[in-house]
Amino acid sequence: MRKKLFVTIILFFAFVTLGYSQNKIDFTEYDLDNGMHVILHQDKSTPIVAVTMMYHVGSKNERPDRTGFAHFFEHLMFEGSPNIPREGYFKIVQNAGGQLNANTSFDRTFYYEILPSNQLALALWLESERLLHLKIDSVGVETQRKVVIEERHQRLDNQPYGTVLEQTFSHAFKVHPYRWMPIGSAQYIDKATIPEFMDFYKTFYVPQNVTLSIAGDIDINQAKELISKYFAGIPKGTKKIYRPDVVEPPQKAEVRDTVYDNIQLPLVLQAYHIPAQGTPDYYALNMLTTILSTGQSSRLYKQVVDKEQKAIQVGSFPFALEDPGLFITYGICNAGVQANDLEASMQKELDKVKKDLITEEEFQKIRNQVKNNFVSQNATDAGVAENLAEYHVFFGNTNLINTEIERFMKVTREDIRRVADKYLTKDNRVVLYYLPKSAEKKEGK
Amino acid sequence: MRNKILILVLAIVFAVPSFSQVDRSKQPAPGPAPEINLGKYESFTLPNGLKVFVVENHKLPRVAFSLTIDREPILEGNQTGYLEAAGELLRTGTKTKTKDQLDKEIDFIGATLFTSSDGVFAMSLTDHIQKLLGIMSDIVLNSDFKQAELDKIKKRMESALAAQKDNPNAISAVVEDALLYGKDHPYGETETEQTVDNITLNKCKEYYSKFFAPNISYLAVVGDINVKEAKVLVTKYFGAWKKKTVPSFKYKKPEAPKNRVVALVDRPNSVQSVISIAYPVQLKLGDPDLIKASVANTILGGGVFRLFENLREKHSYTYGAYSSLVQDRLVGHFSASASVRNEVTDSSITQMLYEMNRIRNEAVPDSELQMAKNYMTGNFAIALERPQTIATYAINIARYHLPKDYYQNYLKNIAAVTPKEVQEMAEKYIKPDDAYVIVVGKASEIENGLKQFGPLTLYDKYGDKIDTTKNKAPEGVTAKDIIDKYIKAIGGRENLEKVKDRTTIMRGSVQGMNITTVVYQKEPNKMMSELDAGVMKQETYFDGQKGVVSVAGNTQEIQGDALQAMKYESMIHPMFIVDSLKINAKLAGTEKVNGKDAYKLELSLPDGKTWFEYFDPETGYKVKDSKSITVPQGIFTKETEYSDYRNVDGVMYPFKIRQSVGAQSFEFNVSSIKVNTGLTDDKFEMKK
Repeated sequence: MRKKLFVTIILFFAFVTLGYSQNKIDFTEYDLDNGMHVILHQDKSTPIVAVTMMYHVGSKNERPDRTGFAHFFEHLMFEGSPNIPREGYFKIVQNAGGQLNANTSFDRTFYYEILPSNQLALALWLESERLLHLKIDSVGVETQRKVVIEERHQRLDNQPYGTVLEQTFSHAFKVHPYRWMPIGSAQYIDKATIPEFMDFYKTFYVPQNVTLSIAGDIDINQAKELISKYFAGIPKGTKKIYRPDVVEPPQKAEVRDTVYDNIQLPLVLQAYHIPAQGTPDYYALNMLTTILSTGQSSRLYKQVVDKEQKAIQVGSFPFALEDPGLFITYGICNAGVQANDLEASMQKELDKVKKDLITEEEFQKIRNQVKNNFVSQNATDAGVAENLAEYHVFFGNTNLINTEIERFMKVTREDIRRVADKYLTKDNRVVLYYLPKSAEKKEGK
Repeated sequence: MRNKILILVLAIVFAVPSFSQVDRSKQPAPGPAPEINLGKYESFTLPNGLKVFVVENHKLPRVAFSLTIDREPILEGNQTGYLEAAGELLRTGTKTKTKDQLDKEIDFIGATLFTSSDGVFAMSLTDHIQKLLGIMSDIVLNSDFKQAELDKIKKRMESALAAQKDNPNAISAVVEDALLYGKDHPYGETETEQTVDNITLNKCKEYYSKFFAPNISYLAVVGDINVKEAKVLVTKYFGAWKKKTVPSFKYKKPEAPKNRVVALVDRPNSVQSVISIAYPVQLKLGDPDLIKASVANTILGGGVFRLFENLREKHSYTYGAYSSLVQDRLVGHFSASASVRNEVTDSSITQMLYEMNRIRNEAVPDSELQMAKNYMTGNFAIALERPQTIATYAINIARYHLPKDYYQNYLKNIAAVTPKEVQEMAEKYIKPDDAYVIVVGKASEIENGLKQFGPLTLYDKYGDKIDTTKNKAPEGVTAKDIIDKYIKAIGGRENLEKVKDRTTIMRGSVQGMNITTVVYQKEPNKMMSELDAGVMKQETYFDGQKGVVSVAGNTQEIQGDALQAMKYESMIHPMFIVDSLKINAKLAGTEKVNGKDAYKLELSLPDGKTWFEYFDPETGYKVKDSKSITVPQGIFTKETEYSDYRNVDGVMYPFKIRQSVGAQSFEFNVSSIKVNTGLTDDKFEMKK
């Protein structure tokens, strides 16, 4: 197994890769006294560094009457500190030749800067400032309130099929906070107040709830010193961190609904409840999705798009989350095809994998595809930093960045059939049709 | 509550007792600037002319092969879309392999392989590259296009076109291209259902055989491979590819408009307007202006700069506002864009134009210029993390005949740009007064506000003008003439008034379901209908005042707008001969109905209800009407077409009726009409 990248440049003449091998990702990890977890990975091949902060808070930590709060708060994290003026985050990072952004999911909020490697201290200063003493004012809050609503318009409300995940999750979850999306609803975004933001900040934006993950052209010892300088003095949070222990009760009967949207081609979506990410069945479901929809020889594509021409697009993916999530299959109808017709074709393919073992040849194929994906996920420093943090926060094992593939390789053909049969059942699913608004009931004649 | 906070402008620091070992008030100084190495590449040319560029990078055990067919842009004409089809056809079979076999082989090695009309991209783990190159070269050298596969592709393309009709960003892109380059230019022509339908297999085959030539192509080999190996492999798999003489083309140069003009596409259900202020620009890689002009564009909107700060952070109109200045060998373009809520559409355009003017009229402050330079320099370094970037740069040098050290000097050239040069470039390339302002949004809410920016023209989703001037009715024809001719054509007032009751039987199908409808009508506007769809029956009763719908034993009273509409629509006589209605008729021009010109009348009633009816100038018959209907989900247009007029007891009735609401349409054929059978009033009241 080859070592790090800068070594391989010397290996230039000795072309040695034979057989499957992944370049190992070396990393160092430790906790500061205040509970902040740190992960460092050195890669000197390009003089840049990715500095990332993964806060273990997402939309599932929200109150039902404040949906969209975690994401709204993410916007406020760019507002400044006593030492950084409003809009300062963007300007300072751009001025240093860098890129920055953030995003919020159901389970976590993720911030990053990618900078030339001589600006590591700058990134640590910026991140420590907003962890230590974020400053927001009413101008910033009111501005971002409107910006967030425009973000919702742009991503969901003004786009064909834009609300499909929102509809899926709200139909699939009745009690668990996955029933609303991270973007939230305009109604609650309008209600969030500054005292509420302060409470949220003091609860979740504390050292013991964040993982600092850095990848790139760094000196490990120097990085440790800088991290200590900027973060060690930040006190631990004192509030109890709210983590919902709500368990979504098993779904007893199929949920089926129709959404009328500004679209021309109907969309069919099925969502099946599945276990949380990292469980053995999660790996089998990943292999299952590969057989169903990765590549043009995949079962759904080959049969439904290519042979029967019922859809212009089909797909499946496990939307696996920290708590039990969903396995989603969907298709967009070819012109003139009815939604129920497409659904029947997709269902036939699901029934086959529930009933029959996939062939040995297909099994080998999906193993190759999964290996390829696994290797490719670490192409950039920012990708490596994020993956390291994800493995630590959600899987409790950072080294899975190197070894998770073994868990995929343990999955057998029988496992794939078993999870298909266990989870892809009628009672366990939500079926949604997206139909053109014109198909809705007509005026009384 | 929100207002109160706004007035107080209260600032809160989420204070934590400060501690002293770090001086947090100062931004940390950067360390010594790292050297930015462009990275090495090697290149060689095969005897057949294929130019190969190899970038070694062993970070991941994979190799990517990216083939670019460097042909000139092609005008596709009435088969627009055939290049896309040809690109897809490439991976649907070779002389020795079916699509199924190709799919299987590509997926079996876990590879990625895309084809397009101007190239092939293939990537796999290092272990599988021999197999991968075997497939790739088979596709490039021995593709075999088949009609059955083309038919599938065309069907998908037509469906995708239908899907695009509802995507505001896709509509904006189509209209922008049509306006900037013209529909007679390869960048401006529009794919439609018709042009896709026209695509022939021969056209696709001809393209492949003429343009897939090694002597105009570049192959980038990037990843876990060395140049020696690459040379052996590329020679083995692409050495037999035959050289060809490839045609070349000349096109007119698209010009920016001489004045600012506004193009509006109505998308009635929009909650945001998609705005683009755009025009074509002559700028290509290697032009001495390009780097300087790019700095000017960056300051305007190439990141979190002026447009973003103004429209998002200051005014909160949008989630983001940006500009781009795109170089191209044939013709490039400038665009400033944002998606904003309906009510601030004009305010947003005002601010975008303000920023475009400001960068022309004022020298950029040094600090802001420095930030733009730093940002561009940093992005350049970050992009080099991807080894593909190095290959792209190397190929650019060859394609654009750039100096060998173009990218070595790139950062130096950025650093040298002065505020004066930024302003000169802005004056030359940022043209707020000679631009197309393209807006896709809800016309009823935004149209008036847009007129201040220049002459406004409505466009459809294909980038064609909705030409209102051409639709003028001939001189001398009045609305009254048209109505009189219609009444006369269908039998005259006297015959019409003889009709006291009528029973109409119609058959049709909706989404594969056969439906039979019987409609009973009696003077003046009593109506009862029985709709039978086999699985479902629906009855509607209307006694002239009250209406009830009954479906499978469930009854519901008709109320509101629907009831109002029913009072008119149930009338047994054409509304024109009911004098008490006081219909106001206005001639609104002509429009095509089923490919034939028809007079268009705008009709209104004193209560404000308006709708349109269309009449055949020759026969005088009504051929269509168009009404908006309100349902809980919004307002839709209901269009009904009438044809196949036949005589029943001296009155002409349409025997074919086609109705569409949105994308859905139904067709009914009348099987019988009986008049004056003596229907009694109780027929129109629901029995309890």
